[in-house]
Amino acid sequence: MGELSTNHFLFLSAALFVIGMMGMLTRRNMLVIFMCIELMVTAVSISFVAFANETQTLKGQVFVLFVLAVAAAEAAVGLAIIVALSRRGKTVDVDSMHELRD
Amino acid sequence: MPWELIFFYIIGAASVLCALGMVLAKNPVHSGIFLVLTFLNVAGIFVMLGAEFLAVIQIIVYTGAILILMLFVLMLVDPDDLPSFSSAAPLQRNLSLVLGVVLVLELAATIITRTALGGVGPDTPASIDSVGGNAQALGLRLYSDYLLAFEVTSLVLTVGVIGAVVLALPERLGERIQRRRDTISLAHPRGADGFLPAGPRGETPITTDIERDVAMQNAGRALIMTKDPDAYTRVGVRQGRPDANDAN
Repeated sequence: MGELSTNHFLFLSAALFVIGMMGMLTRRNMLVIFMCIELMVTAVSISFVAFANETQTLKGQVFVLFVLAVAAAEAAVGLAIIVALSRRGKTVDVDSMHELRD
Repeated sequence: MPWELIFFYIIGAASVLCALGMVLAKNPVHSGIFLVLTFLNVAGIFVMLGAEFLAVIQIIVYTGAILILMLFVLMLVDPDDLPSFSSAAPLQRNLSLVLGVVLVLELAATIITRTALGGVGPDTPASIDSVGGNAQALGLRLYSDYLLAFEVTSLVLTVGVIGAVVLALPERLGERIQRRRDTISLAHPRGADGFLPAGPRGETPITTDIERDVAMQNAGRALIMTKDPDAYTRVGVRQGRPDANDAN
């Protein structure tokens, strides 16, 4: 408790990750679910950087850079899917999406 | 209590509170703004961990690009389409609570019982300082050891951009552009041949400025209200609001 350690950052990362996961499970708005995914990605990034700091190596930070790039591509594609879905099905409610089933 | 710890608790509490606000906010726009605040706090956490470059990238990419994109998409989506907040199935909500608590306990147990890895790596603060700083050290590493992964990332981003454009394009707009290439106008999304009376050279000349203003207003409103690209790219509709039922 006295000194700032890696575990502090890991606990913060775990808290953010769980908040994002619960939001993803409870919310029905597709956009908010998307934001929750971004939050979970960021939480994992904190873990990466914390471990990189602990082991005195830059590999974790490089990995977070790649994660950021992939998250950006994922955001572009995901938001395009949301736009296309809202244009077609007139809703972004995930519970009412069953076009693949019918 | 050292200052580092105090700063960590302030930033950590702020980020957790903002994350909670994001999940609990009814309005998706408020969710997005809470997410921006969370990311800013996470950037502060990165600075505390000695990753200054990542902190800046976090702010530029996430709060600068992705969140703006999300807010734009929120504007594109009709507010009536958004589901109400508290309508998730109760079973789902309770189950997610249980799962969340279980996951918290698992993660806490893992973190508490883990053995510290210790400072074994080559990138000590002294060696990072010797090359000029965090960004320089990261760049040296990125462009030597991870060059292939870096190039593959550029490929991923290119494919992502192309996929986004293809997905967001209105259906059948592409073939319409092929068929009527000479009549597409970039100045107006409806195209020069569509709804707007064309003035001196058109079939339905506008006689007064008032008529023109009305036509322009109707055009703008129809553009906002319609979601179906067919409604405003039909051949032969010269005047009046396009019939929404007639589309397809």
